[in-house]
Amino acid sequence: MSTFERRSGEVSLLVTHDEIEILINLTEQLLELLGEGDFFHHYDVNDPLAQLLAVPDEIETPEDPVLKRLLPNAYADPEAASDFRRYTEPALRGSKQRALRKVREDLLVVFESSDDGGTVEDLEPDSWLTALNDLRLALSVRLDVNADSFEVFELLPDEDPDKPVFAVYFWLGWLQEKLLGVLQ
Amino acid sequence: MTDTITHEEISIHQLLDRPWVTIVWDDPVNLMSYVTYVFIKLFNFSAEKAHELMMAVHNEGRAVVSTGTREEMERDVQRLHEHGLWATLQRDDKI
Repeated sequence: MSTFERRSGEVSLLVTHDEIEILINLTEQLLELLGEGDFFHHYDVNDPLAQLLAVPDEIETPEDPVLKRLLPNAYADPEAASDFRRYTEPALRGSKQRALRKVREDLLVVFESSDDGGTVEDLEPDSWLTALNDLRLALSVRLDVNADSFEVFELLPDEDPDKPVFAVYFWLGWLQEKLLGVLQ
Repeated sequence: MTDTITHEEISIHQLLDRPWVTIVWDDPVNLMSYVTYVFIKLFNFSAEKAHELMMAVHNEGRAVVSTGTREEMERDVQRLHEHGLWATLQRDDKI
């Protein structure tokens, strides 16, 4: 079972091969959903020049419910929300992509060096916290999570297709809690 | 123009200066410990103040976490969204 550790300011994560596979898989899916099929841009989306040239006429509120939760409206008023989104959504996507990419790269190092899992050394806690949180948010939309979801999960029969997804969702929460714990 | 400010002038002045607020909304996903962590990180709140605000979001469904100009609140909302919290801004409705 995975654990975070903190020694002389550096945070590491011990993970099994299976856990790495799950985390890479989810991270890549979310990167794809955020519009990054090949995992890199030729320019940094947060570059002021890129934004200057790339301000679109309009960006609609995303229809995909996961994107709607990850990139929410900043205003109740649709017109103000749309105007704000026009100028800020690319940077918000970029920030989420950067954290997910970092986590994916960290995991790939361990994944490619051993078939038995291993330790992610000296990770960036903030990238991991936001990436884990965004993965949980994404899964929560798919699972329609509410305050009673843990009871729902416990009562689900093992053959229910949502059962393993719930298990991953709660595991990610446990991981995030552990990481917050070592940062205290 | 006298140097006495009338009540009418004060209320117009207050209306023009009425600040904007950033509101964080409750959701069933974000961990209470994570929300507290984000409040401390983004707003430099003490642990007590951050915990208090997190509990207000949790119990009342929403809480005002910052007050200021529209531009400042837009920055706060953007940073909260970067951290996965559900936040909006609006004019302060208390006057």
